[in-house]
Amino acid sequence: MIAALPLGAIPAADEAFRGEIREFLRARIPAIPPERRARSWMGFDAGFSRALAERGWLGLTFPEEYGGAGRGPFARYVLVEELLAAGAPVAAHWIADRQSGPLILRFGSEAQRRFHIPRIIAGQSFFCIGMSEPNAGSDLASVTTRAVPEGKGWRLNGAKIWTTHAQHAHYMIALVRTSGTAADRQKGLSQIIVDLSLPGVTINPIRDLAGEAHFAEVVFEDVLLGEDALIGEEGAGWAQVNAELAFERSGPERIFSSAVLLDCWAGYLRERGADAATERLLGRLLAELATLRALSVAVTARLVAGDSPVVEAALVKDLGTSFEQAIPALLTEALGADPEAVPPTALLRVLGYTAAMAPSYSLRGGTREILRGMIARGMGLR
Amino acid sequence: MQELLAEAAAELFSRHCPPALVRRLRAGGTDEGLWAKIEEAGFLDALRPEADGGAGLTPAEFLPVLLAAGRFAVPLPIGETAIARALLGGAAPPGAVLIAMPAGAPLQARIPAQRPAEWAVLPGDAALLPLADAREIDAAAPLERRLEWPEASIGQAVPEADWLLLGAWLECAVMAGALEAILESSIEHATVRKQFGRPVAGFQAVQQQLSVLTEEVFAARMAAQLGSIGGGEGPLGLDRARVAAAKTRIGIAAREAAAIAHAVHGAIGITEELDLHLATTRLLQGRALFGSADHWAGWLGRAYLAEAAGDFAGTLDFVRHHLAPQETA
Repeated sequence: MIAALPLGAIPAADEAFRGEIREFLRARIPAIPPERRARSWMGFDAGFSRALAERGWLGLTFPEEYGGAGRGPFARYVLVEELLAAGAPVAAHWIADRQSGPLILRFGSEAQRRFHIPRIIAGQSFFCIGMSEPNAGSDLASVTTRAVPEGKGWRLNGAKIWTTHAQHAHYMIALVRTSGTAADRQKGLSQIIVDLSLPGVTINPIRDLAGEAHFAEVVFEDVLLGEDALIGEEGAGWAQVNAELAFERSGPERIFSSAVLLDCWAGYLRERGADAATERLLGRLLAELATLRALSVAVTARLVAGDSPVVEAALVKDLGTSFEQAIPALLTEALGADPEAVPPTALLRVLGYTAAMAPSYSLRGGTREILRGMIARGMGLR
Repeated sequence: MQELLAEAAAELFSRHCPPALVRRLRAGGTDEGLWAKIEEAGFLDALRPEADGGAGLTPAEFLPVLLAAGRFAVPLPIGETAIARALLGGAAPPGAVLIAMPAGAPLQARIPAQRPAEWAVLPGDAALLPLADAREIDAAAPLERRLEWPEASIGQAVPEADWLLLGAWLECAVMAGALEAILESSIEHATVRKQFGRPVAGFQAVQQQLSVLTEEVFAARMAAQLGSIGGGEGPLGLDRARVAAAKTRIGIAAREAAAIAHAVHGAIGITEELDLHLATTRLLQGRALFGSADHWAGWLGRAYLAEAAGDFAGTLDFVRHHLAPQETA
């Protein structure tokens, strides 16, 4: 069983950072149409990421000795919350800043840290994550992409799929098999850094149902990697991947994916007024948002205290993605409740995109069913 | 301090308020000394200012007692009485106090059923009246009673206060506790009960449901904590927006969670014999009383729309300013 989470609070020093971020956003966000901002952390704009880098806001939590700002998780919480609530296009640096950088800092060699971390912080290196394969999704331990020792380095063959923005990324951190067979499951897996400009790497963007290509298939054919491609320990890939996935649960990104839609709709209601049912719907969503944010802040406080609240994080992520998905579902009904009312097309464009992409919210980074399995395990049920 | 209080309350209720007593009390039986034990523990004077002889606890500090009362389905109005004593000071009468809801006419009230007490606060009449004087004006519904007092009933004046808000806050806290009880019971049942040769907890369909139940219980607990944060303009420093959010979220959680708990328990969960219904009926009562989720969600929605719009005045700002997990500076 897991214990109830005590209330957490954002420290005043980190809260004070918000004003600076907002000033930065005020100069850039209004120029981006709402339906682009609705892409949330799928919105790709390398220039925007570099502008953040110029402010020193990439690698905010990375140690100063590698060029980071050395700030705590709550400073990053405030930054991410502001960026996502505004619908800022953060995708270019997102993975490197959130997952790959922390992974390299934790498991990488000193040389890997010295090479990659400053480039991530400068917004020069964008990363993607190679986990899923054509035949390995939720069953991640069945990956078959293989790196075989060759000379001092490795020869890589196989394919990854559903890789977010692979076509724009410079590097991939991939989970691959370095020994044994698929029957060995978690054993024999390792994480490697692949320079995506190498010969033998083919990236095939995949069109999504919104008509864009936010993800891709990445094929490796006899890609030759140096010995420094291995990150962490050979054979420790499974444990490393799980530590990495823990970075991506329970943060603001699991609350605000439909924030632009919610705010556009709430703004529309402010202009035209709302009937009693609509007021209740708005109030319900605010109550859910407030509770989720309090849960998310509480989990962050536990992380700051040095705990590893893995089950709690899974729980907040599942609640959060359900909330994010409920917004377009409920607003579709609400906006069509009165056939005489004519909602602005700008709002309908945001709704159209968000409603279409919402199913992905509970797939990416671990499906709802996988998360619920983790919670069940945490509650002693399996 | 809060942990000590939680432990003390759990210890007291587990020893002196077993499920059999809960049933007898709900049916109008004697309390077998439970009220005296609660009085002795100091819970009833916990919210009274220290200068007034109380413990001077804030709602947030008192929350553990209410959560424990909910967990053990204690049917006595501990929170209501503590609130009455805090607001009435030395003028508060001995005995258990209920908070009533208006029933449409002076000296008429709706009160929660199955909650034995001596007094009721009638907010509309600004009076505290003895329940012994009241008569039923309508057949009792399972979860509430309709009462009327004669003009001659002698009570005492109560201060003007937002009693609906106070009642809503108490329901939030007790419901969050009752939700913890149905989670524990559901997990216990699922691991003990066998079907197809193995515990039902071994089936993924059941595991997934129990995970959702866990999520709802965690969300409700957090909402109760959020709703108990002080610094507001309501009585006891309660904050109206936070209580509104809590009552809304906990109402939703109670609906989802009770349905799952019953599904997991199967037919035995419907029996009088099993304790599950002690919690689930309390949840039904809590959802309906002092404004349901719909009432408070409507209030919250209007509060948002009434606020002036700014360039970034979106939902995050509303939540940060009014519903943050810390007192707003």
